Amino acid sequence: MTAVTAAPARPRAPRAASAVPLATARLLRIELRRNAMPWILPLIAALFWFDSYRPSTGQPPLYLLRTFWNMGQGHTIIDFGPFVAGVAAWMGSRDGRRRTRDLVTAAPRARYAAQLATWAATAIWAVGAYLVFVGVLFAVYAHQGVAGEPPWWWVAVGATAVAAFSAAGFAVGALFASRFAAPLAAFGGFFAMVESSQTGFRDTGGWALILPTNSNGNFQPDSGIFYRYLPDLPIARLMFLAGIAVAALGLLGLPAWAGGPRLRRAAAVVTVAGVAATGTAVGLASTARLGPHGIVIPALHDAASDQPIRYTPVCGRAAGVPVCLNPAYQRYLADVTAALAPALREVSGLPGAPVRVSQVGALYESSSGVGSQAMTIAGHPPVLSLPLGAAVVTLPGPDGHRGQRGAAQAFDQSLVLLFAHAFAGAGNGAGTPAQQAVQAALMQGMGVPIADQPAVLSLGPSSWAPATNATSGPVYGAARRLTALGPAARRAWLTAHLTTLRSGQLTLGQLP
Amino acid sequence: MTTAGVQSSPPVAGRQPARPALIVLRLPWLYLVSRRVPAALGLIAGLGVLLWASLRWHWNVAGGPAAQDFIPLAIEAGAAAVVAVTTYGPFGEPERAAGRWLPYLRLGAALALTAAAFGALAAAAAAGATGAAAGGLAGGTLALLRNLAGIVGTGLLTAAAAGGAFGWVGPFAYLLVTEVALTGTTTTPWVWPAHPAHDRGAAICASLVYAAGVAVITVRGARNSGRGPSPE
Repeated sequence: MTAVTAAPARPRAPRAASAVPLATARLLRIELRRNAMPWILPLIAALFWFDSYRPSTGQPPLYLLRTFWNMGQGHTIIDFGPFVAGVAAWMGSRDGRRRTRDLVTAAPRARYAAQLATWAATAIWAVGAYLVFVGVLFAVYAHQGVAGEPPWWWVAVGATAVAAFSAAGFAVGALFASRFAAPLAAFGGFFAMVESSQTGFRDTGGWALILPTNSNGNFQPDSGIFYRYLPDLPIARLMFLAGIAVAALGLLGLPAWAGGPRLRRAAAVVTVAGVAATGTAVGLASTARLGPHGIVIPALHDAASDQPIRYTPVCGRAAGVPVCLNPAYQRYLADVTAALAPALREVSGLPGAPVRVSQVGALYESSSGVGSQAMTIAGHPPVLSLPLGAAVVTLPGPDGHRGQRGAAQAFDQSLVLLFAHAFAGAGNGAGTPAQQAVQAALMQGMGVPIADQPAVLSLGPSSWAPATNATSGPVYGAARRLTALGPAARRAWLTAHLTTLRSGQLTLGQLP
Repeated sequence: MTTAGVQSSPPVAGRQPARPALIVLRLPWLYLVSRRVPAALGLIAGLGVLLWASLRWHWNVAGGPAAQDFIPLAIEAGAAAVVAVTTYGPFGEPERAAGRWLPYLRLGAALALTAAAFGALAAAAAAGATGAAAGGLAGGTLALLRNLAGIVGTGLLTAAAAGGAFGWVGPFAYLLVTEVALTGTTTTPWVWPAHPAHDRGAAICASLVYAAGVAVITVRGARNSGRGPSPE
């Protein structure tokens, strides 16, 4: 006995401190096992396949295009969010539905802590499933040889959105315990996403950029290929969504049954912090401007993000002229050389004929992901800049959601149109009548009959489209006269007049 | 000791016998209260107001005519989800064992709530269409009836399979499938909201789903946690 009493007493505090995380871990483990979220995951997986994966397979194999629908327009969030909110509401309303609120309140652990454990388990299931599903999606894309960089920032936004939906739904269920809490939370989630889509399609700037389904400025035509996905807007969205989640979780701690005064005060601070983060994110989005590579938020912008992605071009030859593309577009090299060969052959030897074709990154304009810049010919010796990622170029292959094969003919004709337009010096607009006439004559020589040209012009930017499909006006009349000259005489006339034509000083009447 | 004289309870002094009409109504009323039908009617009315507001102020999703009908469809799915969730019963097996009238009550409640939802949304659509510079519901009340009935059918089938508390999952899952179909070019009549109001195939498919949902919920009722694994 003496030895026992003489032994130093073990301090209790460390044991108590270590017991708290252990008990929390046990509670979390129980909640993970007893959670309803796994039941809904097979359905979400099916919807994810149907809504996020299946439509994307109709896009060309570039991450930018494959993920524009499911990440850029937030369909992965739409697939998860409402259902996660509904199930989280069901979990949040558990104590209220089972009338065990008083029982739980009398337990040693604060009810708020127990609720947070339930929410954490719900969120772990939901966010974990989101990451797994997206991981499988990207693995399938990689297996299919999809080129470019995946939009990792948007994956983070999606995961945070799922967490925010779970927190908001859980708060609805905890504060309004009813059998209708789950459908109302799901409906609210759905309606919020629908409204977000509505606003996202309409508003190309300002606060609406914060909405996770707003695709404006999200995905540039060549993001992840020539330049990086700018992280400015995703960071603001992360703040926005995390703020919503934090505020919703803070609300749980405000009622009297949540815990003691200190805990409730802490919950109030958490709520205010969440609201402040959300408001700050909205304010940051309001300062956004459209840069050449995407949405720039000055307070969040890192100049390192503007660095282009280095690459070694892959090259082929068209009519003896080297044609070099970004390796992400390697699969289109043969199509590009085949389409450009008749065009390059037609202008070979003429002043300003390109001696090299080099792909450039397509740029964005302030509508949903549309890049409509034309080709340009510049430099000494002349180099043709080819923006293959621009929307005016219809890449050969599957066509979007319609499940139809894109016509290779449309690809060839759009390249011929863009080439002839650039060679005539018509710039970004439709060009002068003389330039239009020369363009039409060149296209005829490149294999696009004048009769087909009004339809081909509609493949280009909207400002190039003719008012009618008629080919009987003065422009086409001049084009026919130029074509009728014969190859040698036409080349001689072009050699003599191309400089004047490109300066825009040649009139239609001066054409032969 | 015999059982003579205990076959019926002795009359309680002072209690007036209830009138037959009240006795007939008491069971349906108790059933409706146990299914929270009054609250459901309130929610359906709220969804009607939302539909009216969406039509009155032209809340549209950009896209073709079908895509622009998506917000009314979401509201119809919300109403269908509310109808489906009312199938959840708190009593489980005892009610099934003792409730001789239960199938009739389920049938009546499902039909009545569908009719109430249709009435509320149709009235909201009519009111929304009469406002200044307001737009009406695409397809009119015929399309509303078809879409609502079909989506309610998905909810009732889900309630029978997964439990009444999770009956809301079906309408929203169907809504998501419809959303994808509306952005593309679908031809299957099973995506009935994407078809014109007078499309016979779409109407037949929606009717079949509704009839199947009502039949299953009438005969079997919503699944409860005592009959195998369920998320409840």
